[in-house]
Amino acid sequence: MASPVLELKSVSLSFGENKILSDVSLVINQGDVLVLMGPSGHGKSCLLKLLAGLLAPTRGELIVEGHNFFSLTEIERDVLRRKMGMLFQKNALFDSLTSAENIGFPLNETTTLSNIEIEKRISRFLTAVGLAEARDRYPDEISGGMQKRLGIARALALDPQIIFYDDPTAGLDPITSRKIMELIISLAREQGTTVVAVTNDMNRAYQLGHKLAMVVDGELIVTGTPEETKQHKDPRVHQFIRGDLKGPLTAMLESADQNHDSGARHD
Amino acid sequence: MIFEAQAARIGRPIEESYRATREFVSLFAQAIIQSFVPPYRVKDIFKQLSFMAAESAPVVIFCLCFAAVVTIIESSFHMKLIIQNDSLVPGFAALLIIRELGAVVTALLVTSRVGAGIAAEVGSMQITEQIDALKMLGINPVRFLVVPRFVASLLGGVLLTIIANCVCLYVAMLVSEVKLGYTPGSFIMAMRAFVHFKDMFFATIKGACFGAVIPIFSCYFGFRCKSGAEGVGLATTNSVVATSVAIIIIDFVLSWVFSYLY
Repeated sequence: MASPVLELKSVSLSFGENKILSDVSLVINQGDVLVLMGPSGHGKSCLLKLLAGLLAPTRGELIVEGHNFFSLTEIERDVLRRKMGMLFQKNALFDSLTSAENIGFPLNETTTLSNIEIEKRISRFLTAVGLAEARDRYPDEISGGMQKRLGIARALALDPQIIFYDDPTAGLDPITSRKIMELIISLAREQGTTVVAVTNDMNRAYQLGHKLAMVVDGELIVTGTPEETKQHKDPRVHQFIRGDLKGPLTAMLESADQNHDSGARHD
Repeated sequence: MIFEAQAARIGRPIEESYRATREFVSLFAQAIIQSFVPPYRVKDIFKQLSFMAAESAPVVIFCLCFAAVVTIIESSFHMKLIIQNDSLVPGFAALLIIRELGAVVTALLVTSRVGAGIAAEVGSMQITEQIDALKMLGINPVRFLVVPRFVASLLGGVLLTIIANCVCLYVAMLVSEVKLGYTPGSFIMAMRAFVHFKDMFFATIKGACFGAVIPIFSCYFGFRCKSGAEGVGLATTNSVVATSVAIIIIDFVLSWVFSYLY
């Protein structure tokens, strides 16, 4: 039986008075591919950052490889973080470094590999994501799809055991997004890594996920495999995956808009 | 009910101020501690020293030249008004330049040039998630971004203060000769009578303290930067204002402390 690598225990997250997540519990085992979906602004990216230890929960615990992450020292957290990789929504590439330097940077900073070994790794990762030709180009000199692939290569540079993808196909055309998903799947298969991805593209979610979960109104609903998700009984899940205009999610959004408007009038 | 709402309204800014102060002190403490932890980022420190001190030197020297001229002219004007002659101007001006003017004007100029640059750079990194990317790569942002700037700024503060004081004194000596008729020899004699080694030592301490706070405030506001162009602008403005105010307050505290050491 696979062992849990990441665990959220009754986690809540608030920014001031704004409650983002409440009482979320989740177990992710070694080798799982979990896809998080849900309406925009309901806390998917926040949940991903919580799992990556970039946001500290207001209440509850994040357990990484059996350690309570936020009770560790900064140095111990850095050691655990080196076992994780992340592709950010806006790629977060270092704009003053070339494509090759973006991949080489974490290797230079955190490993004792020789320059020759680092060069070999850079070439291997650039070839794997199809960017061998762009090695000396800066992030702003390459297309959005290439930036995503470079972000993936950088996330994989330290051979992480857990990889987080925050909306890896956002803003990409269907062909490029399919290619990116296939790249993510093949890399995950080759290395047997644990993957947690956020996406709102249901086709891509079904293509990638062994297990799907939906973040809605601060709540996490684990919907199961793609087939189980399609048959899920929760009306919110049902409406979301079908993209229906009428249903509980629309009512929720309209009610939130009305509250916001009346709040604004009272102000 | 109304009382509770009012208490919450008053309590929130207090809580926010407490949290902000705690974060700032924590950042300062981390920067100091991490500065002593090897491996030392010598290459980055020299790169920052070049940006902070070498590239700031021309503008600092240019402005300090004018400050020296104003110091001599104003001192002469006031002394003639009070004691009917300006014989004490060279010594008085030299003391004023070394104890106060050189270090403070240099620090304020460096704040507007370097501090604003650091706040904008770190703020841009914050809103484009590059700081989070550093963390995910197991790289401590304080160690990577703050420490080289902190060490370089501290050293640069000392170096620039010494250079600024020398240039300022030289220009003051020239102006004293041209405008007031005091020879360089008499200026140096007056300076030796008024200025002690302690004054120069205290000036370098001021330079180091001012240099140390500039990158801490800038990085602090950069790390707290809100998204968007407006967020970066606000972080830069807040950083320059807060650093300038801090420099004036630190100058007061140090001057007050040093007054007990004479």
